[in-house]
Amino acid sequence: MPVDDYEADATELMETYDFLMKYIVIGEAGTGKSCLLHQFTHNSFKDHSQHTIGVEFSSRTIKLGEKRIKLQLWDTAGQERFRSVTRSYYRGAAGAILVYDITSRASFTNLAQWLADARALASPYLVTVLVGNKSDREEDREVEWAEASKWAAENDLHFLEASSLSGDNVEAPFLLCTRAILLSIESGILDPEKAGSGVSYGDRALRRVNSSSRLSFGSLSGNRRKSGTIKLRLPGPGKKCC
Amino acid sequence: MRSTHKPSVNGVALDETVPGDIAAGARKNLRRDVESKLAESSRKFLKAFGDVDKQLDTLQEHIASMRTQCDEAQTQLEETSEACKALLDRAGSLREERQAIATRQSIVTLFLGQFTLSEDEKEAILSRDVPVGKRFFAAMDKAEKIRDDCRVLMTGEDGPTKAGLEILSATSGYLEQAHQKIFRWCRSEIWQMGRDNQLDVGPSMREAIRRLRQHPELFTEALAYLSQTRQATLLGAFTDALTRGGPGGLPRPIELHAHDPLRYVGDMLAWVHQAIAAEREFLESLFGVRGDMRMVGSVRTFGGSVEEEWMGELMDTAVGKLCTPLKVRVQQTVRSQESSITSYKIANLLQFYMLTMQRTIGEAAQLSKTLKELTDMAYQIFFDAIEAQGRSLLRVAPDLDDISVSPPLVVLDHAQVLREIMVVYESSLAGDETEEQLLSGFRDILDKMVDPAIESCLTSSEEKQKFRPDWDKPVFVLNTLAYLQSVIEPFRFTAEKQGVIQGLIEAKILQLTEEHYKNILTEAGLAEPIAAIGTRQPNEPLSRLPAAQPAQLQAALRQFSLWLSGPGVVESPRLSQLTVQSLAARVQQASLERLAGAYRRLCEEVRKPKNKYEAAATLLGSERPFGQVHLLWQIFGLQHSGEDEYAGKIG
Ligand SMILES: Nc1nc2c(ncn2[C@@H]2O[C@H](COP(=O)(O)OP(=O)(O)OP(=O)(O)O)[C@@H](O)[C@H]2O)c(=O)[nH]1
Ligand SMILES: [Mg+2]
Repeated sequence: MPVDDYEADATELMETYDFLMKYIVIGEAGTGKSCLLHQFTHNSFKDHSQHTIGVEFSSRTIKLGEKRIKLQLWDTAGQERFRSVTRSYYRGAAGAILVYDITSRASFTNLAQWLADARALASPYLVTVLVGNKSDREEDREVEWAEASKWAAENDLHFLEASSLSGDNVEAPFLLCTRAILLSIESGILDPEKAGSGVSYGDRALRRVNSSSRLSFGSLSGNRRKSGTIKLRLPGPGKKCC
Repeated sequence: MRSTHKPSVNGVALDETVPGDIAAGARKNLRRDVESKLAESSRKFLKAFGDVDKQLDTLQEHIASMRTQCDEAQTQLEETSEACKALLDRAGSLREERQAIATRQSIVTLFLGQFTLSEDEKEAILSRDVPVGKRFFAAMDKAEKIRDDCRVLMTGEDGPTKAGLEILSATSGYLEQAHQKIFRWCRSEIWQMGRDNQLDVGPSMREAIRRLRQHPELFTEALAYLSQTRQATLLGAFTDALTRGGPGGLPRPIELHAHDPLRYVGDMLAWVHQAIAAEREFLESLFGVRGDMRMVGSVRTFGGSVEEEWMGELMDTAVGKLCTPLKVRVQQTVRSQESSITSYKIANLLQFYMLTMQRTIGEAAQLSKTLKELTDMAYQIFFDAIEAQGRSLLRVAPDLDDISVSPPLVVLDHAQVLREIMVVYESSLAGDETEEQLLSGFRDILDKMVDPAIESCLTSSEEKQKFRPDWDKPVFVLNTLAYLQSVIEPFRFTAEKQGVIQGLIEAKILQLTEEHYKNILTEAGLAEPIAAIGTRQPNEPLSRLPAAQPAQLQAALRQFSLWLSGPGVVESPRLSQLTVQSLAARVQQASLERLAGAYRRLCEEVRKPKNKYEAAATLLGSERPFGQVHLLWQIFGLQHSGEDEYAGKIG
């Protein structure tokens, strides 16, 4: 009988995970970082969002294929005056969600600086996903999808547009990021057993490691996923899922 | 018998030849026949009956003997039947007894099943081979249920029975063993977690901890072990982050940035903050407390559930060990700061984290206390630094060779530092402070930085003037004050100090205006006649005074007229030394207003008959502005409304 079979009152929240990953959410003030996270963790729009003071923490466990991944999410303040505080949180993050506001050209032009900071301060294996937020405000758009997509490609980033207001595409950046990190782990680039990598094993994965073969990613590395588990909606024509 | 009918025998009509003759013969024959036949039959009968009789006799004998036998049988039967009845009765009661026993037996079996652990269950609890898991927990549940049921039974009329007490004692033994087993298992799991550097809690672990709560000693011991392990693990991880960095040294070790004090301190504190967040999630999961989705940093209410209390304590001890390495490094960094701006930034950063930690783990937590200590120390060092800076400002001897009237370099440097500190303070504001909080948060700093600057400006200028009487002290002081004002003006939290400086500036402006008015009064030639007005005896006509005799007055008015067309009306070399143009304009304007007032007084006096000027109108009308004060106002470019303002101030 396996050790952990006692799941009488295992609630969704209490379930164990395979991996723990640390993410930071960065970008100019007012681009909707806190709202994006709120939508992701609470499934609702955060009304009357105030500027974030310093950093705020939240977490959520997601399922990707067969894997359960717990995300520890650090929401950072975009305001310049907090830069000295927030910069310290890049260290040891496995993933970064870089947010700009599609209705603010300035928030887009500053991305280079944000990315440079992230690359300088975080682990070299940091996976970054670029998110053009507020896609619900098409009429006020100042940054074209194609332009951002091109910039993202040039800088080796995943990219998509989302709306923290409608919830549209809000999960996708996190799933994309997680997927990329899992692939890094699988290919041996990232070792969850090493402290400071921003990733660590959970009880579930460890048990599997101990009991059977080394982590098998079967469903993930192949093109076929378990049907119906996740759906990444990527905008734009001809873009393939993952 | 006679009959008309033919006789018939057997229905056959006989043909009789002699009526009655034949018949008689026949009758005779018949009779004979019948009689012999009868006799024959009778003899046969007798003989037969004799046989029968003999046989009947035998039969009788048989029957008699049968009867006797029957009677015997009857008696025997009766006897047997009597005996059987007792047997049957016994069998019946035995059957009943058996039934009763069977029932009791099943009850006892049921009872035993209900009140004892099966071998399988005992094994689950006792054996090392059965892991802490479903089967084990089920066996524990059983033991618990037995105890509960047993207690219920014993509350009945019979009171505590021997069997009941035995059951309780037996199960309590098993439960104790079970708790011991859980405890041992938890220890090894906790150890494992520390080794694997992971913080995930499986359902068995959570259940085990939940069950261990019923055994306070073991529970406390397990938590103590947990807290020890976490301390060691976190301390190890912190040391690694400080000195080794991430895998392969990336991201770089925190200590590598020790030369950048803010980054160094910030990185350490951020690391600790993140460790606390992870620790909290771990404990929530361990105690099965649902994460309340609260963001770390937002206000947490303490003193809630018992779990909350445990978690607080565990988090406190888990990160408590980090205090020492953290403190040593922060102290070192703070103490080695040359720049008061950096000191202030570090103090602010420490305060930010102190507040964050207080909200997260409570004010009483070791880490919160350490941060409070460090924050206080950093502020103290900062205050010491700016006080020293202020004192050094006072010690700077005035440069006697420098004849300029602009703020000295030391003040400029000092103000630059102040400006940066103000920027830091402004950026540290959350925006929801009350006016008083806003002011009080910076009052001390302003006092310590602005007051010595003002003081040094006043005292050193005083001193300098002693050695260089030609040096324009009032202009210097006004310039310095105005400069200080301009530095703090953009920040609303300096309102009080601005008020103080403004007061000083106003006093200086009055003083300068007074001086400037006197200067231009002299330059314009009106000083002597105006002085005469002020000094004459009450009954003495003005025209009799030497300085105001018509000829002298005529000359004075001419000089005034000449002055009016000169540059002195619009500019003054002295006032142009004022760095703030608006102040120069204010002084100039106020002085001109007073000059206009003086001229008006002079005209009024000249026109008065008691002053005995023969041709007053001609005298005044000979030179610009021809005794017309409004014309003078126009020349001065002043608004006429201010005319009376200085009317009384002539002198
Ligand atoms: N229409 C629209 N408004 C949004 C969306 N996301 C955020 N907002 C609004 O944008 C403003 C800023 O959102 P925040 O989430 O507080 O921005 P932030 O990036 O966290 O800002 P800082 O904490 O200062 O860095 C708020 O007024 C939100 O209501 C979106 O998807 N659509
Ligand atoms: Mg925010």
